[in-house]
Amino acid sequence: MVLELLQSLSEMQLVGELTVLSLLIGGIIMAGGIITAKIAKLLFHKYYAPSLPKDTAQNISKLIYFGILIVSFLGFTSSQGIDLSGIMVAGGIFAVVIGFATQSVVSNLISGLFLIVEKPAKHGDTIDLPDMGISGTLLDIGTFSSKVRRFDGTVTRIPNDKFFTSNIRSLTLSTVRRADAVVGISYHSDIENAILVMKNEILQTMPFVLQIPEPEFRIDELGDSSVNIHVFVWYPKDDWSQAQPILLATLKRALDNASIEIPFPQRVIWSGKD
Amino acid sequence: MKTMSDASEITFSNYGIYDLSDNLELLLPNTLIKFQRISGNAFSYFRENSEGEIIEKIIPTESNDVKIELVPIQPLNHPAKRTNYVFLKLDKEIHLGENSAASIFVHCPIEIGIFLIYDDNHEPLDWVTCNPLNSRFSLYGSPDTGTLCKYAEVSLATDYDDSVSYVNGVMHIVIENTLSFAQTISKVIFPITDNNLYYNNSKSIIDGIKITMKKRAAVNIAEVKQLLWILSGP
Repeated sequence: MVLELLQSLSEMQLVGELTVLSLLIGGIIMAGGIITAKIAKLLFHKYYAPSLPKDTAQNISKLIYFGILIVSFLGFTSSQGIDLSGIMVAGGIFAVVIGFATQSVVSNLISGLFLIVEKPAKHGDTIDLPDMGISGTLLDIGTFSSKVRRFDGTVTRIPNDKFFTSNIRSLTLSTVRRADAVVGISYHSDIENAILVMKNEILQTMPFVLQIPEPEFRIDELGDSSVNIHVFVWYPKDDWSQAQPILLATLKRALDNASIEIPFPQRVIWSGKD
Repeated sequence: MKTMSDASEITFSNYGIYDLSDNLELLLPNTLIKFQRISGNAFSYFRENSEGEIIEKIIPTESNDVKIELVPIQPLNHPAKRTNYVFLKLDKEIHLGENSAASIFVHCPIEIGIFLIYDDNHEPLDWVTCNPLNSRFSLYGSPDTGTLCKYAEVSLATDYDDSVSYVNGVMHIVIENTLSFAQTISKVIFPITDNNLYYNNSKSIIDGIKITMKKRAAVNIAEVKQLLWILSGP
């Protein structure tokens, strides 16, 4: 019964040598390929992806999925007796035409591949793109574009070719980072004493500031109204919020407690008669 | 709350296991811990430390036999868990001549862990430090490739009984210099996660380490191995 059905299907020609049976077999191959690709992707995500970096896992997942689909497609074409060599030639000419028309798309694709290989930053890194004025957390390096979640919560999509060719400043690649602030003290204040009280206050009240390298103080400028001291402190890379935003307040508190004046801008005016 | 200066007037809670029947109050230097039964099988947890930080939790439990354990733990959690390494800066440098060895005891900072014990479970509930000013970070190496460490300036101890209760534990360090020239040791950096802690009343001991300075090919290295107190101790 089944054999007879298959026999009849193989005799039903659609176009040229294409029969209903061969089309059915091709469909089964493609369906099998799609199902296999989805299962392989699912198994990979379940058992292997958790142990890999997120962007690597995503790329391998895409490779597995589309690799199986391409193999299935090749199986499908060979089952239909389609000669791909003609398509290759036509495809080559077509690709040149399309290539000219879609330069930026191809450029993004190639840049995406280079980004994946070079890995200037990985998923979850905090980065700064000074050329574009974008800072935030890298969410994804995709096929054509990358996504950065900015500190205000919005997500910016950046074409990969722009991302690849721009300066990328990683804020999380180093073990520690440095915060700084400038504070001015009056000319009649004792500089050594001011530095000592600021240093003590930092080390006592800012637990995330590193003891080694210890806070550094540089006399930055003999300004119009004040002696400006530039203060540098180091902190663990993930603890920016425990250092930079509170540094200036800590310095002011230290100077206030020690009654060291932070002067207002002032100007001495001499009249001509004097 | 009593402060460190009042420490001589009051009795602090010892390390150990406490039954949690209805109410339980544990007192540590600069730290107050309270448990209170708020319903049949639920407790409230309250902790206030020297910096005025208050932690409150609700602990629902199905077990009728709940205990609390107060134990010294590795000093890695305050102000936040960022590393497994400690950087002990010795207050006095140790000079070691060629082919010589030294055996010293140091005061290594500790934190205090509060664990919940019920049925077969032993769960961490909270941790405190009684000396937050000696709980800081430092960097060993360069900013890009260096190692972040918990930092403490430590003094030498006389023996295993010389620890400061609730603040530090005594650690045995053996330093061996097999090089053909003298060395000065001013700091010790190592991962402390494999070093066990032991307690008796309010005193604590930490597994020691053995540091061997030797030449490997053309490079001078310091090899660090763990010294189990349970094997080397008294």
